[in-house]
Amino acid sequence: MKIVGLETIVFGVEDVASCATFLTDYGLFPVDVTESGGRFEALDGTAVVLAHASDKSIPASIGNGCMMRKTVMGVADVATIEAITEELSKDREVRQLADGSIESTDDSGFVIGFQVTTRKELNLAGEISNVPGSPFQRPVNHLAVNDEIGPIRPRSLSHIVYFVPDPVKAEAFYVERLGFRCTDRFEGTGPFLQPAGTLDHHTHFLIGAPPFMKGVEHFTFHFGGPTEMIQNGSRFIEKGYQAFWGPGRHIFGSNWFWYFNSPFGCHIEMDADMDLHDANWEPRVAASNADTSQTFLLRYRDKWAPGKDTPHNGDYE
Amino acid sequence: MSGEESKVLCHIDDIDEGTTKGFLENNAGQDLLFIVKVKGQLFAWRNACPHVSGAPMAWRKDAYMDAKRQHVACHAHGALFEPDTGMCIQGPCLGKALESIPVYVNQAGMVSIRVTDISLLY
Repeated sequence: MKIVGLETIVFGVEDVASCATFLTDYGLFPVDVTESGGRFEALDGTAVVLAHASDKSIPASIGNGCMMRKTVMGVADVATIEAITEELSKDREVRQLADGSIESTDDSGFVIGFQVTTRKELNLAGEISNVPGSPFQRPVNHLAVNDEIGPIRPRSLSHIVYFVPDPVKAEAFYVERLGFRCTDRFEGTGPFLQPAGTLDHHTHFLIGAPPFMKGVEHFTFHFGGPTEMIQNGSRFIEKGYQAFWGPGRHIFGSNWFWYFNSPFGCHIEMDADMDLHDANWEPRVAASNADTSQTFLLRYRDKWAPGKDTPHNGDYE
Repeated sequence: MSGEESKVLCHIDDIDEGTTKGFLENNAGQDLLFIVKVKGQLFAWRNACPHVSGAPMAWRKDAYMDAKRQHVACHAHGALFEPDTGMCIQGPCLGKALESIPVYVNQAGMVSIRVTDISLLY
């Protein structure tokens, strides 16, 4: 099944205005946004959709304070929509929506949707480093850093991480019913899952957790490279937003990460430069801990520079 | 708290009813503690979710309440806490509590913390 990745994530929130400001400051483009909600798009058109918590047009809350109401996946073509409909109709309701998409429920109880993807193809170079001996170099007189640059834009909706009460059952649904494959696994925690229509290391990661935690751990968009991601994250903090973990670089997936608290009752991440894998890849297995989660971990600090105004302690804590 | 060195944090009127304000911001832009006002009373809590040791709780500077302004929330995983007792009533740290920080309000309404208590926050 040619599921190419996440298309939209729908949230039902009490404070639409604050959430809208948050997503805009993160870098997403507000599209058709009113006081009752709207879309917040990345450069390729993948998006977060906001609605008020009381909006009856979005699926009901699953409880636990989870504000995520629906995860919509993009698929390559109508034939894939038909194949998913046929497969899921074997044991659950599949609703046909007016916009041509379908809606159902996964084995953890999360509402999922599928639509033919409307992702715009991006033709926009990512971060290129000048490296002696490398055949790939940034063109002469092209600058790597622009401190005056305007808003930094997320490229594409990357992945979502669910807390699930039964990770074995949850994984089986995505693998056996929807054709995902496990690319790597944290033993005792859960699998990284990749659908068949993308090479991204993962679009889903499942974390086993008690039923009262069922919900979302985080969601994230890809950025153009580590410089964009860290520049954007630094600006985010300077606006008063609160970092949770990072910046750093994961080992599984190799993606740069920076996690922030959010008004959605879960984290939002900024990520960059995730590994690509195909069917030749052999999944790795590791225990989940600080050493296996990241190859290094950094931390934000206020800017300072050595010089005549340097405090007596050099500004070191 | 006569005779003890203290640090003034704010005036009691600087915090609106049902809202929170953070104090003693560190070099990473995160508060060491925050104060919530409930029915005119102040309750001060360490900015550390009992779910993940030391995890900061606001989603934006000073924003520790849930959107309904009924509970203190950890905006990492959505845990909700009673603002006056600090008890977690929903979320991953269900049954655990926030760490209370003693603060004092004098007759002029100035809110302060003992310097010795600040050192315990680091």
